[in-house]
Amino acid sequence: MTVTLLLDDTLQEIGLRYLLRQYFDIDAATAGSVDESTDTPSSIYFVSPGKFTSSLDFFLPRRSRTAILDSSITHAHNESVIVEQLDIILKSLEQRHPDTAMSAELSQREIEVLSLVAKGLINKEIADRLNISFNTVLSHRKNITAKLGIKSVSGLSVYAIMNGYISEGDLHR
Amino acid sequence: MALIYRDTRMSDVIAHEPSVIPVINRFGINLGTGDSSVAEICAAHNLDTDFVLAILNTFVNDGYFPEDTLLSFRVSEIIGYLVKTDNYYRNYQMPNIHRHFSLLLKTAGGSNASLEAMFRFYLELERDIEQRIDHDLNEWFPAISEMNADGGDSVIMPETECDSSIEDKLSDLKSMFIKHLSGDYDLNLCYAVIVAIITLEKDMRQNNRIRDRILLPISRSLQHRGS
Repeated sequence: MTVTLLLDDTLQEIGLRYLLRQYFDIDAATAGSVDESTDTPSSIYFVSPGKFTSSLDFFLPRRSRTAILDSSITHAHNESVIVEQLDIILKSLEQRHPDTAMSAELSQREIEVLSLVAKGLINKEIADRLNISFNTVLSHRKNITAKLGIKSVSGLSVYAIMNGYISEGDLHR
Repeated sequence: MALIYRDTRMSDVIAHEPSVIPVINRFGINLGTGDSSVAEICAAHNLDTDFVLAILNTFVNDGYFPEDTLLSFRVSEIIGYLVKTDNYYRNYQMPNIHRHFSLLLKTAGGSNASLEAMFRFYLELERDIEQRIDHDLNEWFPAISEMNADGGDSVIMPETECDSSIEDKLSDLKSMFIKHLSGDYDLNLCYAVIVAIITLEKDMRQNNRIRDRILLPISRSLQHRGS
């Protein structure tokens, strides 16, 4: 999920970016206009009423992932009020766009891919071995890294050994 | 934390952000700073206060990177700091992790297979870091210094890229401890190892900004001038 801010006031943008980072662990981007923002299906927009109405053509098709920030947020008189409001907005946007709810456990297929990565096979070889496309291998690897918090090949090997997916002897082909 | 200034008390900086201790140590500043300000301590140690301030502020604040200020310092000063940093990793931080990790393994009495696998992973990481340090100290830094000093037409700039493999592995090791550790182990020692790893990770992350965004561009522009 990426958040882009389009507000009328730079100080408000800085303040909002700070709060999003501090309380929601979100790195929001700012954009002067909709043309400058990079739009993906998971992009979320926080916009001022003015920016919204001046770019209706852009925001209407994206209404379900656009939040219009009115004065109840931009002129709130203390931080916790803003944070609570943001929390409500983010929760409702997330409900509309359930972030590919990932289980923390590796799937059977991911374990297969992990084992081959750990044994030192490159993506192309893994694709051939499992009869899947190169891009599918890439997407499995991305999910494995996201679930385990481990990115390097040797780190993945250690994890595979720790969990008995491969044995020490498999390490050097 | 708030920005650090010349007249900020060093003890306040340390109390607020103890992770600067290894950074001031590599400048030769030890604990026991009393009520002295940053400027006073730098004067006593014959250090360039503005440079130390730039380094401390960059280190302490993730979002703060005074690119223009950093570029205004002499190349030799920046390299001098990165040499000290590399030496500090090599002589203090890595041996510290190594010592505690070995002890952690020993107290587990050879019965914790996951810790053993992780230790082997750490040894590999240690070799990677050693290699990068060797490359810095023996090839890259001397080449920049020489070119910077006399245009050094005869010097060949060694290939150096922003390479995140070491940082990835450090972060992997941290995940292994936090998410995947199993079996019995000494809780205190384990905490010491994790803190040491996280400290090194932060140190590298902050200093890599200087490496990749200040020194690397300087090195590239020298290379262009030379060719």
